[in-house]
Amino acid sequence: MSAVISPIETHAEGEQHTTRSFGWYGMVFFLASEAIFFANLIASYLYLRIRITGMGASWIPSGVELDKTLPFINTFVLLSSSFPMHFAARAIAKGDKRRLTIFLIMTVILGSLFLSGQAWEYTHANFNPSTGVFGSTFFTLTGFHGAHVTAGVIFLLICFFRSLRGDFSKDRHFAVTAVEMYWHFVDVVWVLLFTVLYLL
Amino acid sequence: MAIGSVATRGRVARRSWKQSAVGSWITTVDHKRIGIMYMYTAFVFFLFGGIEALLVRTQLATPNNKFLSPEAYDQVFTMHATTMIFLFVMPMWTGFGNYLVPLMIGARDMAFPRINQLGYWLFAFGGLLLTVSFLFGAAPNAGWFSYAPLTEATSACLQNPLATDQAATLQAATQAAQGLQGCFSPGLNMDFWIAGINLLGISSITGGINFIVTILRMRAPGLTINRMPLFSWMIMVMSFLLVFAMPSLTVASFLLLFDRHLGTHFYQAGAGGDPLLWQHLFWSFGHPEVYILILPAFGMISEILPVFSGKPIFGYTFVAWSGVAIGFLSFTVWAHHMFAVGLPPIAQAFFASSTTLIAIPTAVKIFNWVGTLYGGHIRFTASMLFALGFIVMFLIGGLNGVAVAVVPVDYQLTDTYFVVSHIHYVLFGGAVMGLFAGMFYWFPKFSGRMLDETLGKIQFWLFIIGLNLAFFPMHIMGLLGMPRRQYTYAPNLGWDQLNLISTIGAFILGVGVIVFIVNGIKTLGFMRADAPGDPWDAFTLEWATTSPPPAENFATIPVERSRRTLWDIKHPEDPEWRREH
Ligand SMILES: [Cu+2]
Repeated sequence: MSAVISPIETHAEGEQHTTRSFGWYGMVFFLASEAIFFANLIASYLYLRIRITGMGASWIPSGVELDKTLPFINTFVLLSSSFPMHFAARAIAKGDKRRLTIFLIMTVILGSLFLSGQAWEYTHANFNPSTGVFGSTFFTLTGFHGAHVTAGVIFLLICFFRSLRGDFSKDRHFAVTAVEMYWHFVDVVWVLLFTVLYLL
Repeated sequence: MAIGSVATRGRVARRSWKQSAVGSWITTVDHKRIGIMYMYTAFVFFLFGGIEALLVRTQLATPNNKFLSPEAYDQVFTMHATTMIFLFVMPMWTGFGNYLVPLMIGARDMAFPRINQLGYWLFAFGGLLLTVSFLFGAAPNAGWFSYAPLTEATSACLQNPLATDQAATLQAATQAAQGLQGCFSPGLNMDFWIAGINLLGISSITGGINFIVTILRMRAPGLTINRMPLFSWMIMVMSFLLVFAMPSLTVASFLLLFDRHLGTHFYQAGAGGDPLLWQHLFWSFGHPEVYILILPAFGMISEILPVFSGKPIFGYTFVAWSGVAIGFLSFTVWAHHMFAVGLPPIAQAFFASSTTLIAIPTAVKIFNWVGTLYGGHIRFTASMLFALGFIVMFLIGGLNGVAVAVVPVDYQLTDTYFVVSHIHYVLFGGAVMGLFAGMFYWFPKFSGRMLDETLGKIQFWLFIIGLNLAFFPMHIMGLLGMPRRQYTYAPNLGWDQLNLISTIGAFILGVGVIVFIVNGIKTLGFMRADAPGDPWDAFTLEWATTSPPPAENFATIPVERSRRTLWDIKHPEDPEWRREH
C-alpha cells in the first residue's frame, strides 16, 4: 500500500499532447457504430438490387431518369470541403484562432452548397420514394447521408460561433477535433454511397 | 455538507432543488447512483414483464380458454419478451456494469458521466413509451422480432386513433383484417415499438461506448487488461456487441417506419421489396443480442465461483478470451433463425456450422467453472447456489440450442414450444439466475446491507423448481407440435397437462420473485447498514472500499500487481503476483 498514485493525476482529462483524450476514443467508437449503420444500409441496397436484377427485372424502373451531372458536382463540392476542415483543425492545433474561424466558415459554406444541390436534386427528380424499390433505396440512403451532413453543418456552425467567442485555444479545442473526425467520416460515406447509387 | 444551512443576509438560503432528495437523483452524473437507478427501473420492468408472463400462462393453462381476448394476448406476449429483453436484462447489466466496473478497475467514475446520465434517461423514456402503449390499447403485437410483413402498413390504411371519422377507421380495420394492400398493422402498435426501440438503441450505444472507453483508458496503474476482473471483461465484450450490433436494428426499424409512413417498399413483396430483408437485418442484430444478454452473467459467475470456492478462477485466460471468441462468432450465425425460409443449401451449411462452432467457447467456459469448483472449499451462500444453478440450467439451454442448429431438426421444431423452452433455459436459467447470483453477491456493496440468506435460499429453490416445471414441459409440447404464439388450443392434443404444469411452474416463479421483494424490503427498510467492506472474503478491488463506497470510490488507489489485488492486500505473505511468475 505504500506505492499509491493519485488517480486524479493518472486520469487527467482534456487535451494532452502525449495521449489522446477520452473524447477522441469516444468519437472513434461512435463513428464505428455509424459506419456499421451505413454498412447495413448499403448491404440492404445491394441485397434488394441483386434480388431484383436476378429476377430479370431492370433496377431502374422504365421512364425514370437518374441525373448524374449534379451529383458529380456535388461530390466535388463535398470532397473539397475536407480541405478547409483539415486546415481549420491544423490552425487551432498551432493556436491560430483567426485561420480557424475562416476555415470553419468555408467548410460550412461548402457543406451548405452540397445540401442545396441535394435539395435541388430531390425536388427535380422525376421519381419519388414510392417509385419501386429503386426510389425507396435512393431516397433513404441519400436522405440518411443528407441528415448527417445537416447535423455536421450545425455542429460546424456551433464551432464557428464558439471560435468567434474565443472558446478554443491551442490546448483546448476538442469540439474542433470531433467535428473534423465527423466531417471526414461523412465525406467517406458519401464516396461509397455515390459509387453504389450512381456508378454501379 | 453545509450547503443547505448557509445563511445569507440574515435569512436562510433556499436549497436548490438539485440538492433535494429527488432532485439530486434526477440530476446525478455519479456512476453509482446512475447504476442504482438503472437497476431499480429495470426491476420495475421485470415485474411488468413477469405479470405479462403470468397472463400468458393463465391464458394457456387450459384448452379453449378465453381469459384474454386474442388481440390482448398478442400484445401481452409481445410485450413480455420486449420488456424482459430490452427493459429488464439489458438495462440491468448496464446498471451492474455502471456500478461495478469503475470500482473493479479503480476509477472514480465512468469516462463520460453526462453521456451516462443521458443514456439512463433515454432508456427510461423509451421504456415508458413502450409501456404506455397499453393505455392506448395499442401495445406492439407482432412478436418481439416483429417480422415483416405482419408489421407493415401503407399510408393509405393507417389508422388515426384520434380521428373522429369512424367510417374511415372502420374501413382501415376491415382492410387490415383482410390483409389488403400490404396492410397488416394499421394501428399505432408498431409505431410505439419503432419509437421505443430506437430510444433504447441510442441509449445502448452510448452506454457501450462509455464502457469501452472507461475500461480501455481508466484502469488503475498496474491493472493490465489481462489482470482485469472477468466481469469487466464480459461487460467490455458486451459493449462491443452493443456498438456494432444495435445499428442493424436501427436500420431495420427505420426502413419499416419509412414503409409505413413515407411510401417506400423495402419489405413489401408485391412492390419488389423483400420481407426476408427484415429477417436478415433483425437477426444480424438479434443473435449478437442474445450474447449481450448472457455474457455479463458469464462474467458474474466467473467472479462468484472463485470467491465461494476459495480459489482463483481456473484458466483465467481461457475464460476471458472465449468471451471474445463468442463475441466475434455471434456476428456470423444470424441465419440459423431462418432455416425454414428456404435459404440456399450452402448458406444453411455455413450457418449450421458456425452455430455449432460457437458452442465450443461456451463449453470452454463451463469446463473452467467446473474446474474452479474442483477441490475448492465451497461455501453454499445464496449467491453461490444461484451460480451453481446457473451452470446446470444454462447447460440444458445450451444443449437444446445446439439441437436446433441442426437444419433438419430445426425444420421440425422451428416456431414450436421447443424454441420457447430453449430461450427460457438460457435467459431465465442463464441470465436471470446469474443476475440473482450477482444481486446477492453485490447487494451489500450497493446498499451497505446484507440480504437475508435464508430467504435467498428459499427463493433459489422456488426458482429451480418453478423454472423446470415451467420450461421443461415446453420441450415435449414442442416435440408434440404445439406452435408458439398461438392464442389457444383444442383439447386432447396431448398438450393439456403439460400446459397446466407449465402454468403452475410460472406461478411458483412468481412466488419466488415475491420472496425476493420481501427480502429486499426487509433488508432495506428494517436492517442496519452495517455490512463490512469485504463481507465475502473476496478478491477484487470493489471490495477494498467501504460498503457502500464513498462518492470518490477510493481514498487512494493501490497499484495492482495481480488478478486478485484484494487477496494480495490481505495475504502479504502469499501474494498472487508471486505465483504468477
Ligand atoms: Cu441466434
